[in-house]
Amino acid sequence: MSKVDVIMPQMGESIAEGTLTRWLKSVGDAVERDEDLFEISTDKVDADIPSPATGTLAEVLVQEGDTVEVNSVVARIETSGEVGGEAEAPEVAEAAEAAPAVAEQPKAPAAAPAPAVEEPTPEPVAAAAEAEPAEPEAEPEAGDGDGPMTREERLRTKSTPLVRKLAEEHGVKISQITGTGIAGRVTRDDLLAYLESRPAGAAEEAPAATPSAPAPVPGMAVAAPSTGEPGVMRVPIHGATLDIKIPGVTIREGDRVEEMNRVRLRTMEHMLLSKRISAHVTSVTEIDFERVVQLRRKLKGKYADKGVKLTYGPFIMKAVTEGLLAYPILNSTVSGTQIVYRGSINLGIAVSINDGQELIVPVLKNADQLSLMGLASGANELAEKARTKSLDFDDIQGGTFTITNVGVFGNLFGTPIVNQPQVAILGTGVIEKRPVVVQDTMGNDVIGIRHMSYFGLSYDHRVVDGAMAAFFLNKVQDVLENFPDEGV
Amino acid sequence: MSELRETTYLEAIREAMWEEMKTDESVFLLGEDIGEYGGAFKVTAGFLEEFGPERVIDTPISEAAIVGAAIGAAHMGLKPVAEMQFIDFIAPAFDMIVNFAAKSRYRTGIGAGLVIRGPCGGGARAGPFHSQNVESYFANVAGLKMVAPATARDAKGLLRSAIRDPDPVLFFEHKFLYRRIKEDLPVDEEIIVPLGVARIHRPGNDLTIVTYGAMVYKAGDAAERIAGEDGAQVEVIDLRTLRPLDTDSIVDSVRRTGRLLILHEASGFGGFAGEITAPRWLLAY
Amino acid sequence: MTGPDLLKLCRFMHVTRALEERLEVLFKQGHIVGGLYRSLGQEGTAVASAFALQDGDWLAPSIRDMGALFVRGLDPAEMLRQYTARGSSPCAGKDNTTHFTVPELGLVGPISPLGTQLCVLNGVALSFKMRGQEQVCMTYQGEGASRTGASHEGLNFAAVLELPMIVVLEHNRWAFGTRCTSESAVEKWVDVAEAYGVPCAEVDGNDVLQVYDETVRAVARARRGDGMTMIVAETYRMLGHAQHDAQKYVPAEELERWRERDPIARFETYLVESGFAERAELDRMKNDVEKEIAEAAEAVVAEPAPDGEEARTRVYADEALAPPVPWTRRDHVYADLAAFRPTQTRG
Repeated sequence: MSKVDVIMPQMGESIAEGTLTRWLKSVGDAVERDEDLFEISTDKVDADIPSPATGTLAEVLVQEGDTVEVNSVVARIETSGEVGGEAEAPEVAEAAEAAPAVAEQPKAPAAAPAPAVEEPTPEPVAAAAEAEPAEPEAEPEAGDGDGPMTREERLRTKSTPLVRKLAEEHGVKISQITGTGIAGRVTRDDLLAYLESRPAGAAEEAPAATPSAPAPVPGMAVAAPSTGEPGVMRVPIHGATLDIKIPGVTIREGDRVEEMNRVRLRTMEHMLLSKRISAHVTSVTEIDFERVVQLRRKLKGKYADKGVKLTYGPFIMKAVTEGLLAYPILNSTVSGTQIVYRGSINLGIAVSINDGQELIVPVLKNADQLSLMGLASGANELAEKARTKSLDFDDIQGGTFTITNVGVFGNLFGTPIVNQPQVAILGTGVIEKRPVVVQDTMGNDVIGIRHMSYFGLSYDHRVVDGAMAAFFLNKVQDVLENFPDEGV
Repeated sequence: MSELRETTYLEAIREAMWEEMKTDESVFLLGEDIGEYGGAFKVTAGFLEEFGPERVIDTPISEAAIVGAAIGAAHMGLKPVAEMQFIDFIAPAFDMIVNFAAKSRYRTGIGAGLVIRGPCGGGARAGPFHSQNVESYFANVAGLKMVAPATARDAKGLLRSAIRDPDPVLFFEHKFLYRRIKEDLPVDEEIIVPLGVARIHRPGNDLTIVTYGAMVYKAGDAAERIAGEDGAQVEVIDLRTLRPLDTDSIVDSVRRTGRLLILHEASGFGGFAGEITAPRWLLAY
Repeated sequence: MTGPDLLKLCRFMHVTRALEERLEVLFKQGHIVGGLYRSLGQEGTAVASAFALQDGDWLAPSIRDMGALFVRGLDPAEMLRQYTARGSSPCAGKDNTTHFTVPELGLVGPISPLGTQLCVLNGVALSFKMRGQEQVCMTYQGEGASRTGASHEGLNFAAVLELPMIVVLEHNRWAFGTRCTSESAVEKWVDVAEAYGVPCAEVDGNDVLQVYDETVRAVARARRGDGMTMIVAETYRMLGHAQHDAQKYVPAEELERWRERDPIARFETYLVESGFAERAELDRMKNDVEKEIAEAAEAVVAEPAPDGEEARTRVYADEALAPPVPWTRRDHVYADLAAFRPTQTRG
């Protein structure tokens, strides 16, 4: 009686590992030499692997779905006679002993459930990841055909780690795809064909935890392997690095899933980018709009005669250009370690379209050179273009500062996100009557009723400090509260 | 005392081939324009008439095919001497030399005893593709031997050894020396110089200059000048064979002088000087 | 060709296919060192062409011509030793596949850069010519290999020097993963021969008798001193380049079409229909061959791997010239190093 090692073969010069996709025999089964024993899948090719000896499958060391280095021992066959077990390629056996992957245990199904997490809540991140319900295909026991999936389904979910990773990146469940590989396994080509052919918006949520992506251990991963893993954020912390798994989303009954359109995707990208690049701070000031309200009331008719609708917008834009001229750092951008002071003031005006479902920021060029009338008509024109979706590419390019009106829907103030590559954005709150302390003509403090508004300025603290932001806001306030008659 | 005859470096090469072909029927020549024309440098002039077209083979301009045929013929027990019209043109045959000839014995146990000879070196106003020294391209290839004679006597004696050698030998003839070097060589004496043995061109105890090919004379001139100017005695070692490298001679000399200067014509970076100073073999001896 | 010869031819094809199938099993069991390049579907070309040679002739195979080697007398066990890189292999484990040279059998092995063995075989043919011997040489190249500079130089050299040479261009449609139409702009590969000024025959490479007939003609031509002949054999590589290549780029229906033209099946049908053999006899032959090969494989796998020291041998004829092993630490070297310092200074 002797035991013969069964190894993971090397299916090509550069192949370093293979995935054991399916055992064709179970422990205890009799097996003939050269009879197919298991199936493998590698980066290059799939194959059925024949047994090196006749005997009984004594030990299975690698479970279905596991990926091990080539020449790793995957099983042992007990031979009945003195079949040259020892003569079996000694150098291979040696290599197998050295292979660390041999010791690797099959991953436990769905990791360990997180203790005492009753409800999946969005945070803390790691806990949520662990509390995610186990995906059905997560590692059934080898040879156990009674799992939640049929054997056929289980086989179909088998694929190489590369394919699984790719599927995860594209939010595709392997089980949705018809495989053309051995026993219907999904190959890379199958996945790519599926991605190419699927209708837009058909993407599924990525599985929360796949066999290839074990839930991260909350804790420090000093010098952990580079995480190209999707859904894992590598965050440097003091003296270490933390891998934070961003949990997948479980779709529950009644949920509606819809693909983001292009504008939404771009907005998502743009906002995440800005949050990563800039050091955001928001300062808020309160502005008395009484003077502007009166002026607007006075000028409205005159403007209307010329076909221009006069809102508070042009007043604010005028004040902002004054502020930017006084404090050009707010009209700058950061290029590496350099600050680029923009030579013109191009105001981006955030416009909500499609009943608030989309946001677009047309740009009013050279705003500092425009009169109130010019600002008003220019802004009107852009807003109209935005609503009719006839903005040119040029209309949304080259902004140097952005104004977003969070008050248009009644909000007091906002803390907007800087519109990259700019360094500041002004969020204007609702203009409404408030009781404020004012001085009467006698110089006494009295409660008065005034049109007031909160302006929130978000700025990039990399180049704009709080004082500069305050100076700028004060300038805007000063212009608005003492808006000149002339030139309007 | 045998009769002496003034012999140029080029004539010495001719004589070596002539004498080997006379005494051994398995020796034959192949290359471009070597037959009727007599070779671009007239090294093989008169060979066709003497030995016939079976043993002096004009080939198409196909360096890979020339070397390939030399390998096959060597497998069959012949002793081919292939000419590269200029050693620069050895590049198209690189694959045949490096992958086939050099590794043949190692892989299959069947050697390829052949000689690839050709004019190398600058100073002949010949431009970038007629002036190179290619030894470093091949120095890294185990299985090859490389010879670079400086004197007429060595050119003759080393080429005869190379032809008789059972391994592939690259034989670098310096074109600057072809007709400039003239030596009185004995007519009757059989001149054979073994591969792998360096020569002390000029003895000295103050500095060792290791060099080969045409640079031997530059080094010699410099040594004379230094001796005249301040009396220091420079030893000039002519390697003669680059592989196998005669490390013993270098070590012996440097032990005496305590100083080493290496002189060669080809590019310094990755050049043969690096091998001479390589601690790998300095340690090994 | 006589009846027994026909059966021999059939057997060589079975040996080739059985051996390759055995090698594939060994590959998956981890016994093969390096790649495994199968000739499934094109065994007929190599076997039948080599069958036209005589004792004393030389042959240089390509990677997919091991069938030709068996015809020339190579023990299939040697091929097993090569692929498993046993110390006992013709290459002593230093190289694999058909990369070996056996002068006694008139075999020159190729190397991986393609077309080169033709250049070397030219030298062998040259030696026959120089010595007035009536032996001939034959070599093979896929249409992909025929595109290298060495191939071109070699073909031209053989043609110009009128060497006794037969070059079989195995038009098997695939050069690794590239279709033949991307290898050359010629439509008919026989036109290639015209460029070299040599005669060329086009044969169905999967029809062994046609291959044999044409090769016999070419051999006779070479033997009587009329120079080189090319033979373009139309055939098909039924598997990927090597075991790592799942051949996904090949349309299934194309494979199916060629599968119907399998050289062994066709030849067996011919043998049965022409009354040269009974079907049962052929089946028995196949089983016997497979059994023999399996036994040979078992024995070869048990042979020892090469000794590590072997790696330094045969670099030069003079073993003393083997390059030193840089990772070997020798204490005396360090002792010597201490003494290696300037002993004289010049005043």
